[in-house]
Amino acid sequence: MTGAAKYTEDVSVEGALHAVFVRSFMAHARIGDIDFGSAVGMPGVVGVFGAGDLDLGPENSDEVPDVFARPMLANETVRFVGEPIAVVVADTLAEAMDAAALVLVDYDPLPVVVDPEEALARGAPLLFPEHGSNVAVERNFTSRAPREREPEVVVTGRFLNQRLSAVPMETNGALAVPDPDTGGLKMWIPCQAPHWMSREISKALGLEEKQVHVVAPAVGGGFGAKIATYPEQIVVAAIAHRLGRPVRYLEARSESMVAMTQGRGQVQHVRLGATKEGMITDLEVTNIADQGAYPGEGSSLSTLTRQMASGVYRIPYIHYRTFCVATNTTPTFAYRGAGRPEAAALIERAMDMLAQELLMDPVELRRKNFIPKEAFPYKTASRARYDIGDYEATLDKALEMAGYEKLRKQQQERRAAGDVKQLGIGLSCYVELTGFGTDSSTVEVHEDGSVSATTGTSPHGQGHETAWAQLVSARLNIPHERVQIVHSDTRLTAKGDGTMGSRSLQIGGSAVHGASVGVLEKAKLLASHLFEVSVEDIVQHDDGRFGIAGVPDSVVGWGELASAASDPARLPEGMDPGLSAKDKFGYDDNTMSYPFGAHIAVAEVDTETGQVKLLRHIAVDDCGRILNPMLVEGQVHGGVAQGVAQALFEEVVYDEDGNPLNANLASYDMPTAAELINFETAHTETPSPLNPLGAKGIGESGTIGSTPAVQNAVIDAVNHLGVRHIDMPLKPERVWRAIRRTAG
Amino acid sequence: MEILSPSSLQEALLAKSETPSAVPMAGGTDLMVELNFDRRRPDAILDLTRVPELNGWERADGVIRLGAGVTYARLVAEIAPELPGLAIAARTVGSPQIRNRGTVGGNLGSASPAGDALPPLLAAGAQVVLASATGSRSMPLTAFITGPKTTSLEPGELITAVSVPVATGPQQFSKIGTRNAMVIAVASFALALHPERQAVTTGIGSAGPRPLMATAAESFLKGVLDEEGLWDTHGPILPAAAIRFGELVADAAQPIDDIRGTIRYRRHALGVLARRTLGWAWGDLRKGSR
Ligand SMILES: Cc1cc2nc3c(=O)[nH]c(=O)nc-3n(C[C@H](O)[C@H](O)[C@H](O)COP(=O)(O)OP(=O)(O)OC[C@H]3O[C@@H](n4cnc5c(N)ncnc54)[C@H](O)[C@@H]3O)c2cc1C
Repeated sequence: MTGAAKYTEDVSVEGALHAVFVRSFMAHARIGDIDFGSAVGMPGVVGVFGAGDLDLGPENSDEVPDVFARPMLANETVRFVGEPIAVVVADTLAEAMDAAALVLVDYDPLPVVVDPEEALARGAPLLFPEHGSNVAVERNFTSRAPREREPEVVVTGRFLNQRLSAVPMETNGALAVPDPDTGGLKMWIPCQAPHWMSREISKALGLEEKQVHVVAPAVGGGFGAKIATYPEQIVVAAIAHRLGRPVRYLEARSESMVAMTQGRGQVQHVRLGATKEGMITDLEVTNIADQGAYPGEGSSLSTLTRQMASGVYRIPYIHYRTFCVATNTTPTFAYRGAGRPEAAALIERAMDMLAQELLMDPVELRRKNFIPKEAFPYKTASRARYDIGDYEATLDKALEMAGYEKLRKQQQERRAAGDVKQLGIGLSCYVELTGFGTDSSTVEVHEDGSVSATTGTSPHGQGHETAWAQLVSARLNIPHERVQIVHSDTRLTAKGDGTMGSRSLQIGGSAVHGASVGVLEKAKLLASHLFEVSVEDIVQHDDGRFGIAGVPDSVVGWGELASAASDPARLPEGMDPGLSAKDKFGYDDNTMSYPFGAHIAVAEVDTETGQVKLLRHIAVDDCGRILNPMLVEGQVHGGVAQGVAQALFEEVVYDEDGNPLNANLASYDMPTAAELINFETAHTETPSPLNPLGAKGIGESGTIGSTPAVQNAVIDAVNHLGVRHIDMPLKPERVWRAIRRTAG
Repeated sequence: MEILSPSSLQEALLAKSETPSAVPMAGGTDLMVELNFDRRRPDAILDLTRVPELNGWERADGVIRLGAGVTYARLVAEIAPELPGLAIAARTVGSPQIRNRGTVGGNLGSASPAGDALPPLLAAGAQVVLASATGSRSMPLTAFITGPKTTSLEPGELITAVSVPVATGPQQFSKIGTRNAMVIAVASFALALHPERQAVTTGIGSAGPRPLMATAAESFLKGVLDEEGLWDTHGPILPAAAIRFGELVADAAQPIDDIRGTIRYRRHALGVLARRTLGWAWGDLRKGSR
């Protein structure tokens, strides 16, 4: 760590104005007068803008009917605490903050609905009365094949997959600087997909995409919450464009906790059926997805939950209903895993309940129902096409690492002794889906012998600079310190879908790989032309230079080849100048990869206080062929930490009036080092057949696999007391109540 | 905003009498949060970190006079054997950073029902020492804290020290929170055994408008120990007595429902904490006598 990375806030631009937003402190109200009066005359204030002042249309999404469109600044109605209503722009941040405090908004309170199930009920307060209900989207899914047989045993449950805050270290912000050359803007935005930002902002401002040049400098974490283009970012761009002056904003933490999209937020009613022998017959789910105040793109995530609901099992028949509902809360969208952790939690929790019902070991039940490794590619009843898998292998390895039999024995001993502290062992066998979209890369060798590669992915801590350099270096035999990876700048890179959904290596990396192979071929052709031999006779020596097979004296290095390539006179006929090549790589929906794994958590539960202590966490993940083990390890560790935190600590809570109760870091329980343990990790490698690298995503596996394992471990510790289920987060009081309810 | 930076206690007291609205700041770990959340906008801050008289401790006549500005980190490093209950609590406060800045005086000044230093100070029978430009006074902690975040500190006064009798027997402290560190306790409990005067004292935290003593529980336990001669024999306390002690502690609490916990859970948890801390403390006593 050097402290040298430059974040958006570190980009200094002379004369930049500071924008501060006036945010609603009511969850649902009609807005009457907005009085800018005294704010306008405050020292340093350059402008105060409300909804009507900026000529910005609302943001709508193909996922939901247009009535749900979100205005950039609230106009008639506010629908969640934190919704921006107006913005003050001033010379300094302090002046903008002081003036913003003077903007007076008249609120006429409306009834509030916070709970997504209550939002469904007849007579619930409506966020968009024109629509007639809070249900933005309803989906009914039934698998193609009819029900094969009736279940003999059925377990049912209502699972809460609670709402979470992403809490990246760096909050949201933007810096917009008018660009006289294009008549547009140059913007620095902490984001995960600069090209998407450029597309959305140019659309909102009525500019051409190339007029909005977006750079994502160093970004302090995103976790999905920096995918969306936020109204605040569009507003700041619009003001800079209108005033012809640079404008910046950066959220304070307490603003960020209400303004940044939140994740998860599903209520799942689950019914899993099986035969007496434990063969699953069917799965029925009603999923209520809390979209917050403005259902939009986030409504697509519950489709991923449905798609992955089958987990690693053969489930012949699936019926799945989804309601995406509006509530007076911060809008929800992607958070590490985005729809898939909810699926893993759903099916893995139900599997444990079924095992308990059948008095069967949860390992045995899972093995019985695994999709066998010979069955791939496999189409699930929930209509996912799994590329490849070997679920037994990851489970075997995890069981061996855990010492499963011994743990079960220890558990039995504690149970028999009636110990206050009981032991629980939780399993989670997960599969997820990764790798949407397309990406391009241009790899170019320069005359000094160095090489640059562009990518449409946008690393913000994932280490693409290292991994992509490895790819280029391995193909071209140019030392990786001479490889420059160019990313996160819409001017310097071809369009790409950024970094999210664990897509980067398999898509962006494959494009880098393809372009590198292209450059190598071109180099060989050029060398053969220069040496006047056939290309088959060209060899690359260990030092990276090219020569003729069997003729040690004639060699040409990368730099010389690059010079030749820029001289049309030395090029073979038909060869484009420049020692560069492009490649584009992309999947369609049917060719996404499906990483999988098995996690085992061991937890101790204090049956008197309900306190949980995580003792061990074993993670065996299969992300296909591993390019860089250290980067993979980093992703797994961070992911498991976040997954454990969902199981044990984190939850965004609102009171019934829609006031957030823990929207700051004093009361929102982020995990710290004091809560976490050394994770025991391992991998199996089942290369994906879908890309040249054999890679699958690893960015979200840790989060997806760990949460159900920990939840299952805690419940497993007390299920002999009659406890069947406890909702997350498993805070002491909740665990104690569950024990008390059953044990009396 | 004015920052006053006295370099002696006399200067500090003078400044406080001239500008009674000046808000004292020790480690700032509570105060800066308040300022940040815009809950307070004082026109002056009185920085006490450069006042040497507040930053030391001394021992005289079996009592530790702990300067209001002594941090948790120093307390743990320097006086843990004399004030074991307070030291256990200090180790659970925040994180290393918070323990390096935060002070016992600040915990008293905030007078939060969840202040972790307060239950052990209560159990230890601490006296809070206050001073103004015109004189000083001291009072028991129970008189000092008058309600949630309110004290009997007068505008012209500062907390200068807290006087804590050196432990004469085992002391324990335990708390429950929603994660391991950096949390506001859901419930906490402190216990001190005084074999020399055959007494038991307690302190309840996070379960009432202010830290409370469980006096009925104290006298019940003393009764059991007296009656069965356990002060002398150091024999085991029967589980039923320990459970009853826990129940009486739970009864003494006056908890509220909030986002961290319900009334019911807080009472229950206190009962468990009381029973467990008693078990540990009595175990320490028995070990010590062997
Ligand atoms: C991240 C974090 C974690 C925390 N964890 C815990 C925890 O686990 N347990 C816990 O109990 N607390 C915790 N706290 C709260 C805080 O650290 C403690 O209350 C600490 O004891 C305050 O001491 P301070 O010196 O920082 O007080 P300050 O913030 O300087 O002052 C606190 C109050 O006391 C007044 N004051 C200070 N000194 C004097 C004086 N000499 N005379 C009169 N008034 C005075 C101030 O005016 C102010 O009102 C935490 C705080 C943070 C930010």
